[in-house]
Amino acid sequence: MTETLTQESGNASKGLKAGALGLVATTVIAVASTAPGYSLAAGIGGINEAVGVKAPFVMLFAFIPMGCIAAAFFYMNKADADCGTTFTWATRAFGPKTGWIGSWGLIIADLLIMPNLAGVSGQYVLLLFGADKAAENAVYVTLLGCAFILAMCWICWKGIELSARTQVALLSTELLVLAIFAVVAIYRAFGDGVTRTIDGVTYQSVTPSLSWLTPSGLSLSAIAAGLVVAVFAYWGWDTAVSVNEECEDSNRTPGIAAVLSVFILLAIYILTSFGTQAFLGPQFVIDNQGDAVYAVGKQALGGTFNKLLIIAILTSAAASCQTTILPATRSMLSMGSHKAGPGIMARIDPRTLTPKWSTWAFGIFSCLWFVALALVSGSGMITADYNIYWSSIAAVGLAIAFYYGITGFACVWYYRQYLLKSAKSFFLVGVLPLVGAVILTFVFVKTLIDSWKEDYGYGLTAGIGTVFFVGTVLLALGIPLMLICSKKYPGFFSLKPDAQNVIPDPRGTDGPAPELGS
Amino acid sequence: MAPPPNSAAERNTDMAGEIVVGIGGDGSGWQAARVAARLANLMHTTLVLVFGYEAVAMGPRGGPLEEQVAAIGEEVTTEVRDELLATYPTLAIEVALVQSRPVDALIEVAAAREAEVIAVGHGGSGPLKAALLGSITYEIVHRAPLPVLVVPNDPDDE
Repeated sequence: MTETLTQESGNASKGLKAGALGLVATTVIAVASTAPGYSLAAGIGGINEAVGVKAPFVMLFAFIPMGCIAAAFFYMNKADADCGTTFTWATRAFGPKTGWIGSWGLIIADLLIMPNLAGVSGQYVLLLFGADKAAENAVYVTLLGCAFILAMCWICWKGIELSARTQVALLSTELLVLAIFAVVAIYRAFGDGVTRTIDGVTYQSVTPSLSWLTPSGLSLSAIAAGLVVAVFAYWGWDTAVSVNEECEDSNRTPGIAAVLSVFILLAIYILTSFGTQAFLGPQFVIDNQGDAVYAVGKQALGGTFNKLLIIAILTSAAASCQTTILPATRSMLSMGSHKAGPGIMARIDPRTLTPKWSTWAFGIFSCLWFVALALVSGSGMITADYNIYWSSIAAVGLAIAFYYGITGFACVWYYRQYLLKSAKSFFLVGVLPLVGAVILTFVFVKTLIDSWKEDYGYGLTAGIGTVFFVGTVLLALGIPLMLICSKKYPGFFSLKPDAQNVIPDPRGTDGPAPELGS
Repeated sequence: MAPPPNSAAERNTDMAGEIVVGIGGDGSGWQAARVAARLANLMHTTLVLVFGYEAVAMGPRGGPLEEQVAAIGEEVTTEVRDELLATYPTLAIEVALVQSRPVDALIEVAAAREAEVIAVGHGGSGPLKAALLGSITYEIVHRAPLPVLVVPNDPDDE
């Protein structure tokens, strides 16, 4: 009388979802996940700090490793579409220890960015209501920021998603506002330009130049320092385009959407980085790191339009927050489920179908971390004197470079037997992920070495560079934790990397690899 | 949009098609399932319980997440089915766990089985929430190529 059937959704029956709306919606989700408005607001100051007027070059160049790593995500996802991503893939390629520590890198990257997301959101909410003075008050910003984190966790727990239509509306507004902002700023920087004296410092426009797109005159250290912030600007894009597509999809929408979203992102980042630094020069951006886009917007546009800019950044921060919480909690869920950590992380709320415990644990740790940073930085948190709070973006870049690097190497090593099968396999499965991994490893190592020195642009903590301190201490904390877990969960830690004969051809029609550990 | 799988005119007038009802883990559609069970019992037709599930579109999914969600789907559908069988012991009930958005799942199953009517729950989301987040009821009424029966949810079902 009863029969249970599990069906996969077929292409033909998707009705209205297919076609034009599908392309727009997929592109929108990829761009929205990357959150250009927020990434720019949070990152541009750090990039200018590292490379001066060469920010557009760094924005352009940073896409290369991120685009390359997307190939690794795409092909590893074919072997195992597990929500643990780096965790599962690195375990299959290199074994449980690498998988565990890679996943730790992912969770740390997500955790590190939360204070910044929350801080930017808290500040911009206050700016939106004209409370410019309150926006400089660390207490208000911290309280609002924590409320923001908890609200976003609540949304993720409830599994609430904006409809595709709402997302399209929000994102088009965001992009339009950013584009107008950039074009006005660039336009006004030409000719005689603008001179403003703010708080006793005189800033002068810099005439935009195409040389801003070339690396001439930059040292390797400066490039690495810029890149470590700029990879953060593209963070999220790769997951959105590579992990969520059905691999056998005959529909070509995902591919076209990925290419479209890249062009949109590159265009908007180059345009806006030109605009922000040209209008009153890069020094103005650096001096206003805390709210750079707002500060430039206020001078360039003023009034009502600047409110739109604030709203664009806020919606972007909310989207970014969601794409931060989701991967982190999914990785925790996967680790719990594969018995590499506490089982409670894998528990799903039966009503909302989301990992409730992981979500709230992540939210609470984020708030604690945010409050701790606020206490350490004090009022300096807002005034951006290159302290622990602002340097956290660079530390995020370190953590991203770390786990993306592992993912890239994992792809090349996992599929090693297929690399010489065809030129296409060699390039797509081998060269691209390897190039991405090598660039990111370079950024990681170079930044570590440079940030150890005290003259690295972000100040000192406990006698060593702050970025080094924050990034390394948290990443290194994973090692003792892993050792504890390996004692507590010997089952997972005795797994071997996948045997060569069970690994499917990444470009063939073989099914996925067998279950992890089988 | 696909044409209706079976227009009223073409249908065999002696036999009713099946009734497809969508249920969720949060109690939504349970009341609809009760009404649909009563109708299916009177119509001597089969009731199909559909649990459509899809992890949030942004961010990675698959693996343990999908597995656990499917397990919850089985649990929920079993619970509802047992309750209905207690009231209508002879009713034929089938269960479909579909890995797809709930609305797509319902329409797919209804079309594939040439169902007579789709039953869905309604309640909870006001007009603003529905406009921002989309509403399953709204979407199904607009997209379904067959009649839709909308039944208010019972708040007691969690």
